[in-house]
Amino acid sequence: MVLCSTARAAHDDVASGTDFLTKFCGDCHNSTDWAGGVAFDTMPQENIAGDAAVWEEAVKKLRGRLMPPPGETQPSQQAIDAQVSWLETRLDAASGSRHRPGNVVLHRLNRTEYQNEIRRLLDLDIDAAALLPKDTKADGFDNVALALRVSPAFLDAYIVAAQEVSAKALGGNATRATSTVYRASPSVARYQHLEGLPLGTRGGLLVDHLFPADGEYNFNIAQSGSRGGGYISGLDSRQRLVMTLDGRRVFEQRLGGEDDLKALDQRQASADKEVQDRFRNIHLTVPAGLHRIGIAFIARSHAEGNEILEPLDAPGTGSGMPNVTAVEVLGPTKVTGMGDTPSRRRVFICKPATTTDETPCARRIVGEFARRAFRRPVSEAELQAPMKFFESGRQQGGFDFGIQQAVMAILASPKFLYRAVGLPQDAAPGSVHRLDELELASRLSFFLWSEGPDEELLNAAAAGQLNQPGQIERQMKRMLADPRAQSLATNFAGQWLTVDEIDAIQPDPTLFPEFDGALRRAFHEEMNRFVGSVFGEDRSVLSLLTADWTFVNERLALHYGIPNVRGDRFRRVQLPDSRRYGILGKGAFLMGMSYANRTSPVRRGSWILEQIVGTPPHAPPPGVEALQENTEGNVPRTVRARLEAHRRAKSCNACHGVIDPLGFALENFDAIGAWRAKDRETATLIDAGDTVHGVKVSGPDELRALLLRRPDQFAQTLTTRLMTFALGRGLEAEDMPTVRAIVRAAAADDYRFSSIVRGIVNSDAFTSTMVPMPKPAATTAQANAAQAH
Amino acid sequence: MFITKKHLSRRTVLKGAGVAVALPLLDAMIPAATALGATAAARRPRLGFVYFPHGAIMEQWTPAAEGKGFPLSPILTPLKDFHQQLTIISGLGNPVADGPVHSLAPATWLSCTRPQKGQEPNMAPTCDQIAARAIGQDTPMPSLEIATESGGGGGSCDRDFGCNYTGTISYRTASTPLPMEYNPRKLFQRLFGRGDTPAERTELNRQYGSVLDMVAEDAASLNARLGQRDRALVSDYMETVRELERRMQKTASQDLSGLKLPEVPVGIPENTDEYLNLMFDMAALAWQANLTRITNFMIAAEVSGRTYNNVQVPDAFHAVSHHGNDPEKKAKLVRIQTYHTQVFAKWLKRLAATPDGEGSLLDNAIILYGSNMSNSDAHNHFPLPTALVGGGCGKLKGNQHLRYPDHTPLANALVALLDRAGVPTEKLGDSNGVISEI
Repeated sequence: MVLCSTARAAHDDVASGTDFLTKFCGDCHNSTDWAGGVAFDTMPQENIAGDAAVWEEAVKKLRGRLMPPPGETQPSQQAIDAQVSWLETRLDAASGSRHRPGNVVLHRLNRTEYQNEIRRLLDLDIDAAALLPKDTKADGFDNVALALRVSPAFLDAYIVAAQEVSAKALGGNATRATSTVYRASPSVARYQHLEGLPLGTRGGLLVDHLFPADGEYNFNIAQSGSRGGGYISGLDSRQRLVMTLDGRRVFEQRLGGEDDLKALDQRQASADKEVQDRFRNIHLTVPAGLHRIGIAFIARSHAEGNEILEPLDAPGTGSGMPNVTAVEVLGPTKVTGMGDTPSRRRVFICKPATTTDETPCARRIVGEFARRAFRRPVSEAELQAPMKFFESGRQQGGFDFGIQQAVMAILASPKFLYRAVGLPQDAAPGSVHRLDELELASRLSFFLWSEGPDEELLNAAAAGQLNQPGQIERQMKRMLADPRAQSLATNFAGQWLTVDEIDAIQPDPTLFPEFDGALRRAFHEEMNRFVGSVFGEDRSVLSLLTADWTFVNERLALHYGIPNVRGDRFRRVQLPDSRRYGILGKGAFLMGMSYANRTSPVRRGSWILEQIVGTPPHAPPPGVEALQENTEGNVPRTVRARLEAHRRAKSCNACHGVIDPLGFALENFDAIGAWRAKDRETATLIDAGDTVHGVKVSGPDELRALLLRRPDQFAQTLTTRLMTFALGRGLEAEDMPTVRAIVRAAAADDYRFSSIVRGIVNSDAFTSTMVPMPKPAATTAQANAAQAH
Repeated sequence: MFITKKHLSRRTVLKGAGVAVALPLLDAMIPAATALGATAAARRPRLGFVYFPHGAIMEQWTPAAEGKGFPLSPILTPLKDFHQQLTIISGLGNPVADGPVHSLAPATWLSCTRPQKGQEPNMAPTCDQIAARAIGQDTPMPSLEIATESGGGGGSCDRDFGCNYTGTISYRTASTPLPMEYNPRKLFQRLFGRGDTPAERTELNRQYGSVLDMVAEDAASLNARLGQRDRALVSDYMETVRELERRMQKTASQDLSGLKLPEVPVGIPENTDEYLNLMFDMAALAWQANLTRITNFMIAAEVSGRTYNNVQVPDAFHAVSHHGNDPEKKAKLVRIQTYHTQVFAKWLKRLAATPDGEGSLLDNAIILYGSNMSNSDAHNHFPLPTALVGGGCGKLKGNQHLRYPDHTPLANALVALLDRAGVPTEKLGDSNGVISEI
């Protein structure tokens, strides 16, 4: 970055327009200095459309007050606002009334969408993360078409997933008995109750197992009592082990106590076998489908326990209490039927009565499944390939297996895995085409639900109703009211607000002994529910920053200091104190943008600039010094003091002068988002005060007020992010007039969430596609810059 | 909430017999030391690229003296058994990773090419893939990519470059990053297939083959209504289908009967040490069974938040890598780095014990062990910690510490490596010569 040393203190304002550029920008961004490769004196106003990318960047820098950098002459806020409107008005005018819609390439289903699609098609919950490789994010989202590449490993994983999912859903090749072993995590505390198991039990294991058919199954339970090189352990007192299926007790057996001890002492191996055999060969009749197996010991009073204190890191060492270590599910050992699972109900829409019925019935089943999977009507010719799979499967394993093979083939097809927007063969570069109705239906449902269209939308599209006036909007309203629209909070907003960052941080246990997994989960849940309430109740999106309510359970309420909340259930509460209003008061953000051992005003400040203000700061240049950590033997300094030392260098202050004060305002929230008055290490009072944009800010309330001074700014950031997600492509400078038009229209409706969604789904960018142009000629700005270098 | 790991043994159980199988079922992974590779007529090297993130404490990495018989530094001490086949190369740099370091370091390590800005992957093929194209085509997999974490922490992606260059060290073409497998179960199934018996494997293969045929037809039919830009993507897709077909044919003709396969691993072990060794074990098996000649391995993710309690480092790896010259933090980092070398050395030991042709797998291997960062606190790219291990089919000298002029491009070493592997290459990335002394 080039820094110019012409700092002037005066706030003498000038008219907006070129005068402003000359006065406040021209000292560095001129054709002599070329700061950042930009020289405004070489960018004629007549060619504003051609240089739109640079001008849009300038608008951002001004809006976020990243430019002019701190230390240079600062225009007044009014002057900046006026200059921003001047530029935006001209940019909007230059782009004309019809905006160029851009182009989204062939779009592969990502992991989340795949999982949702399997639920839509087969009523089956799968863990896509265990089946498919991780998707690459681009522009902050994992659904950007350009980044969803295919490689041999990917394609292979999708084919294998099709095989596994179809077998799981429909029962596989009849019913070969298989063995599945589930092992308990060694880190489960054997003395504590495990969430999901019956109350009054301790330790144990909880798994969901898919039983492929109705029939008999065999269970073998392994527990840690009595085994181990002839030594007897864990049997000192009488214990009882229980097993539950979907919460119902199906097995109970004793272990340990005087008689077991005595038998083992006297007969050893043969007695050990007797003890173990009590937990083997448990025969149960189980209906097909997914069932939850729970196994645990009944908790006894700790007063009579003989456990010794165990180190945190090595559970299971040297204890007198047995625990469940594994369960094996064998079977089915006897099949009584294929079962009536939701998946089978979904797929088998007919049953052949005779062998001659089989092919016509299969054709119906396969045709219907293909239509839903390909998200459009299918031709007879398209059914030939899956029907071949049916035929070969039927010969091998009967009708049901044939259907399963056809389903597998359809799930592996690129017609299911990709969304495509068709173009006429003779389409000229630059020409604009409206999406056909089925393409539009898919775009709409993947946007609002992160999955394919439901029957109503698909039928409306197939019947040609979607392009009739008001119809997209009608569908949009219906879909926003559906529970599936919660994906906008969990999937879209989760990524926008970088909620997963909290999973990457393991707070230092010596500094934050109170932190636990329950708190981390509560942070996730709070954010999902909170954002879900704003979107779901169709409130003004500004309430994301200002809302005086949130969702807590006891653990989180304790952390936030909210009284009278008992139990694990999340509930809506009125916040007693404005400091936690909106997302800036939420643990998911405060902890996510901290480090394991301390807060990071830099990360928090940058996050606010990027996700709230929409003007991300630049990455630090190479070779910068990192923040000095406090070390033992030296006088500790607060994070703030250390940052301020770092900021003394002018080159650092250019960005950190903007970033850090935003973060300082939240310094009363510690690295796990708890409120604090004093710094732990230095025992001094937190100083959250600083000057931001010439305004004194000394805490979360004033920071929020500052960020809301221009409400359109936040609405614009949200619109930009939401539109990126909706389209599955990064936005370009030429999309910005569309974004501003949507924001202006939404302003009239108090920035209601649905008014922004409406603007997006009605935009040309959403409803149309443009044939990509051959590589554009260099813009004036680029050409000039190239010449200068 | 689920605290269990799932283990699919795929063991067939007699219907109705109700025979109880004693638990625990899992044996340690101890495959027999049979030499499947022994049948190969010509000696062809195996290539390994083992990457560790966050550089090294260089004063503890760089040996104190140069030349033959150099003394091992603390971080390199675990390699003492392989001194005769070890070359340390000092003085190398790789400036193309400047800037958003964590997002660029992994993928530019073996490309030495600055990626184009943008959200679309756009760099150059990496060294391993140049080799794969030349000498990787006669095995089922031209190359194998293994990671030990699902992804990096925050800050591993960048606004200008996206996340395309942080999750993998391997690019097949300029626009095709190769994802790295971190799930041991999935890795196992990819290597050894999903059937128990040869008959089952044949059946699954047949099924897989017919799915591929259908997938190719469907992709072709998609093409008809697409524009130019999408058609290019479909042709990428078709290329991928062909690659899988080729792999399937190779796998079908592969005889795995002499290899004692371990049981299918149970998901991801919670214990890091167990996890790393498991992944290295499978990398060794893949070479032993001639499933691939080229293996890429990321020993930890960029910006890893992993903790190393086994060597008394309870701090997150990335956090401690910003050591701020604090001696305690640097000592912790050295412990992590030495530990990585230990795990790596264990793998080498296994390779050395596995016969391959006239020697061992290690005798026929060329393994690059290093990082694309130097000082993790300064985020710089000079001097890079770089070690070369293996006999290279007699083409590597070993037992030397070479020092080149400061900022000699890492690419020069990669060009030399390719030469020893029998893949003469004129230029790679920003190379401006070749290191001839290895």
